[in-house]
Amino acid sequence: MSWTLPKLVPRSAPVILLILTLAAATGFAAVGHLVARFTANQQARGRKLHELGLEDAKAGRYDEAIAAFRAALTCDPTNSQYQLSLARALRDSNDPRRLDEAESYLIALWQRTPQDATVNLALARVAAHRGSVEDATRYYHNAMYGVWSSDPDANRNKARIELIEFLLKKNAAANAESELMALAASLPSDATSRLEAGQLFAAARDYPSALAQDEEVLRLDPNNAAALAGAGQAAYRAGNYATAERYLRAAVAAYSQSAELRQLLESTQTVLRASPFRTYLSDAERNRRIIAAFAQAEDRLTKCAEQTGVDPNTASASPLSRLQARWIAAKPDLEHLRSPGETDLPDALMDIVFQIEQQTVALCGQPQGLDLALLLISRERAAAGQ
Amino acid sequence: MPDGPSLSTPTRLPQRLFSTLEGVFHEEVFFLILSVFIGIFSGLAVVCFRLAIDWMHLALLGPLPQTHGWRLFAVPSVAGLVVAILVLHVFPGIRGSGVNQTKAALYIFNGFIPFRTAVGKFICAAIAIGSGQSLGPEDPSLQIGASIASALGRQLQISREKLRLMAPVGAAAGLAAAFNAPISAVLFVIEEVIGRWSAGILGSVVLSAVSSVVIVRWFLGSEPLFRIPVTTFKRPSELLAYAVLGIVGGLASVLFAKSIGFLRPRLKALPRWTQYFQPALAGVLVGLIAFLGAPQIMGAGYDAMDQAMHSQFPWKFLAILAVLKIVASTVSFVSGTPGGMFAPTLFIGAMLGGAVGDRMHYFFPHLTGSTGTYALVGMGVLFAGFIRVPMTSVFMVLEVSGNYEIVVPVIVANAFSYLISRSLTDIPIFDMLTRQDGLILPSLEEDREETILRVEDAMLGVPSAILGAQDYVDANARRVQDCGDSIFLVRLHPTGWNVVTREQLQRLLQEGKGEMTLGSLLPAQSLPSLYPDLPLDTALRYVNDYPLIPVVNRADSRHLEGVISRESVFKKYGSRGAIAVPGED
Repeated sequence: MSWTLPKLVPRSAPVILLILTLAAATGFAAVGHLVARFTANQQARGRKLHELGLEDAKAGRYDEAIAAFRAALTCDPTNSQYQLSLARALRDSNDPRRLDEAESYLIALWQRTPQDATVNLALARVAAHRGSVEDATRYYHNAMYGVWSSDPDANRNKARIELIEFLLKKNAAANAESELMALAASLPSDATSRLEAGQLFAAARDYPSALAQDEEVLRLDPNNAAALAGAGQAAYRAGNYATAERYLRAAVAAYSQSAELRQLLESTQTVLRASPFRTYLSDAERNRRIIAAFAQAEDRLTKCAEQTGVDPNTASASPLSRLQARWIAAKPDLEHLRSPGETDLPDALMDIVFQIEQQTVALCGQPQGLDLALLLISRERAAAGQ
Repeated sequence: MPDGPSLSTPTRLPQRLFSTLEGVFHEEVFFLILSVFIGIFSGLAVVCFRLAIDWMHLALLGPLPQTHGWRLFAVPSVAGLVVAILVLHVFPGIRGSGVNQTKAALYIFNGFIPFRTAVGKFICAAIAIGSGQSLGPEDPSLQIGASIASALGRQLQISREKLRLMAPVGAAAGLAAAFNAPISAVLFVIEEVIGRWSAGILGSVVLSAVSSVVIVRWFLGSEPLFRIPVTTFKRPSELLAYAVLGIVGGLASVLFAKSIGFLRPRLKALPRWTQYFQPALAGVLVGLIAFLGAPQIMGAGYDAMDQAMHSQFPWKFLAILAVLKIVASTVSFVSGTPGGMFAPTLFIGAMLGGAVGDRMHYFFPHLTGSTGTYALVGMGVLFAGFIRVPMTSVFMVLEVSGNYEIVVPVIVANAFSYLISRSLTDIPIFDMLTRQDGLILPSLEEDREETILRVEDAMLGVPSAILGAQDYVDANARRVQDCGDSIFLVRLHPTGWNVVTREQLQRLLQEGKGEMTLGSLLPAQSLPSLYPDLPLDTALRYVNDYPLIPVVNRADSRHLEGVISRESVFKKYGSRGAIAVPGED
């Protein structure tokens, strides 16, 4: 059996080339039609598989989702959405070996559309999984300034919040704070956004800013319990105990079951009751508080010595014995508190109290009750001094 | 056979326009334009071929990640049976790769490849590869392109010389379309199919390859076959690791080639009825491997290569996949199933590269190259070792990756692999296959190894007496009086050389022409002169016509380097082994 093509009759070069051109054009059209039909079928099949994959990913079945997305990509290899879905599933599957592949897909997408905010956000999350602050910050910024298909302002703020949370997790507080400043400036004036910003400021230990955000929320919604709790906590951490008491009292009323808030309120009230530095105190009350603090310090010192098994009377080189020596030396000065010329004495006596509270924290752990209040007052004073 | 398209003018078109066009399309130009059309047609055919494989794959197996067990097992076996029947009864001569058949067409069959081969290869390879047989689509694409080109050339009744060249032009187009890599395709066709560098065909091969790639990219997009990982090469000391990869790859290449070389003739020698079942049994084995947990070895395996380059498999699994692919591709190929060796070679290389890269990182954590980089280099390593096309292997990796940073690791690893393969196997795989089929075809590797004799090897020293054409005959006669030679070179004025014998000089003296210049008495012709670096074969054209031929300097043609004679040339050839001396009975 021998197969041959039909003979071409004309043998003139221009005619041959004309016929070849027509044949090529016909072939082009026919193959184009075939490719279009095949592609359409494949795309339909790919869409089904992609939907299956999305369901699996949503349910946390990442292995099944990855298989489905891969299958979808065999049907439609250039589909950016499938590549993005696969990359996300690979990234979220908690298998560090898959991060490379996820990144490879995303970088290919990024090279095609570097301005695409979704791709940049996905890349940022891969970098965050790797713990790379530099790469994550770059891609998060790309996402913030990139093109979003819908609701760009909200998405940009969400991306910035995600970056801040990542930076806080990586202890990059300075970077986080600068991002927080930008966030605070761009946030809409709604309670939810401000409340979230307040929590982020608090996580970044910028308690005055956190308090400001929570107070803004309370201005919009005076009974917002979360804002009351946040404001109380922020004020407490900032050493603003009078304000803290006000907010915490309201928060405890709102969250009656919260032991943490109640404890904070108690600490706050103890501080307010124990502090000899409050401006409205009479001399007698101030002196009473100093004497009480001095006695509490001795008690703390004695208990700490018992806890650590150190006898301050014999172990002269120990920190506790040195503190005890200072305390004993200063005790007679309590008698002079009422003397009008002794203006520096309250500070000197409280300084010994503060030293005892601070050093016993290192040796015997976090105190409770009045000791905790004295420790907080010492920190407040130190911060005010700085 | 006619010399090409005649330039007779059809009557329906304006006479002048037609004459002008025909004047433009002399055969060389026509051949170049034809190369573009070959590229277009081959590209269209390869697009359809790839669609057919994909369609077949989806229809028979479904998307591989979701294929069920029984299908993995049953489909390649049944498809193997169908392919065997087609190969034995409808399309004989389409077994195997197609590269060696294309080369045979060039050297033995005057460029003739039946069009039926293209059709058969298209159908059978699509069924085989689509059903999961462990073979690739590149070599069949090459043969389909060559077959289309050959059929077109025959239909257009172009000259025999050009028809012979049509097959490699089509082959380059087919391979370039399959690989989406025109440079590698051109180099492969030159290294493996044509077997020698030929400036005459290079333009056509490049044109066809580029035009076919344009067609494929038009329809299927310009996405590479696999996503390339980020590749880096920073420390020269890391070359040692790549050398280890080259050695491992070289040994794997030898194992792969020897397995095929051992099994293929033995299976072919079995009774004919067994050939109905050989592809089916190969399918059973491939299906079994897939069923037992390695479906990645089915078909071309580009998805698995992609995953290997992105560190998706642990090193042990990569090594196991490499070994299983050698087994699967060997049985698929030697069973006579139509399909190519390129993709399996790349697969094995990627898996081995990934495994070696992983171990290197384990033992030497400071290495900068990712596992994916090793997988990429591994592809070239197997290509260099198995197919033994060193240049193509380097350029293929560069072209596929688009990254020139890894050129040095690729060259180093490929060199080791190539050297190991060459030292442990006598001939490259495609030469071995053609010899098993009873054909002996030239190869570029043999050309490279052959020591070429040059004119300087047979050159005698400058003669003691050189005569001047402007000197008198008696002065020239006195000059040669004490010389023992019988033939003398004569320096012509201003340039050129002639020759005169002692007897001719004596006769001129006897005729009383002693006071005439020698030049005025010699025939007005100049001897051809040669250069020392020319191949000695060039001298063979002249040694029967002239007793002495001057060898001159290329920078100064008046400066004589020496002479060669018929005896000196034949003596030199004789010293390399017995040869038939023209004119000697």
